[in-house]
Amino acid sequence: MTVNQKRKVVIVPCSGIGKTYGTVSREAAYNITEDLRPQETRLVALSKLVMGEEEARSAVEGNPAITIDGCKLACATKMVLESGGVIAKDYAVLDVYRRYKQFKPQGIAELNEGGEQLARALAAEIAQVVDELTAGKGGEENG
Amino acid sequence: MQDYLEFQVDKFIFKVLSDRLYSEEGLWVMLEGRHVRIGISDYLQQRSGDVAFAEIKPTGTDLAQGDELAVIETIKVNISLASPVAGKVMAINSVMESSPEVINQDPYGAGWMVLIEVPGGKDELKHLLDAQAYYSKIKLEAEQEVNK
Repeated sequence: MTVNQKRKVVIVPCSGIGKTYGTVSREAAYNITEDLRPQETRLVALSKLVMGEEEARSAVEGNPAITIDGCKLACATKMVLESGGVIAKDYAVLDVYRRYKQFKPQGIAELNEGGEQLARALAAEIAQVVDELTAGKGGEENG
Repeated sequence: MQDYLEFQVDKFIFKVLSDRLYSEEGLWVMLEGRHVRIGISDYLQQRSGDVAFAEIKPTGTDLAQGDELAVIETIKVNISLASPVAGKVMAINSVMESSPEVINQDPYGAGWMVLIEVPGGKDELKHLLDAQAYYSKIKLEAEQEVNK
């Protein structure tokens, strides 16, 4: 990470493969980092934090993080904290689903329409948080 | 301190409280005068996963034994739970709507679901399992499953 690099919000989703809620967390993360706020956010794979990869650790150490956990083990949140990061906001997919009961997620490799809608709803919530975190800080530098 | 039976399968520890009765399905039933308090056993809640929603028949509903009492939606499954007794729904745990996760957090206490009036009292509960019988049933079931 360079000193001149813009401050970005790090998004760390669940890495649970084979779990519907984990897939929702990743879909939401892709949605926010690729479509909704690509300039303001950066996706960090949980597995890289688990492996202690230097670039991933630096990213969470130098930027606010939003975690999206697929279950109550909350691996994403725990790993960001263990990696020296600061959690700006943590989401649990189950809690989000309770707010959007109409979007029942199903499927694993491919989410059903409910799961896709839930992921989009979650991404929209995260976008608001990102906007709050980055308001007036667009040119802020790390360091 | 509450008296309970306990067994472990793999990394999971299951508790069966000794002071109440159980349906085959996994609901616990505790007689309180002319009423029974009903909830989900620790075994059933752990097997079913984190509860997303709990929809329970409203107060005033008359139920026959075996009628649908509640539908629990978890991260894994939707479960239709049959009423273990005949009677009238007198009260629903008010936290079920806002915080159904209490079923997972405290299944035998704050996670109770419903209070049903049973005019027949204790006689209405003869078909239910005592704690030892339920413990033996689920222990066998869990061990068979893990050895599959």
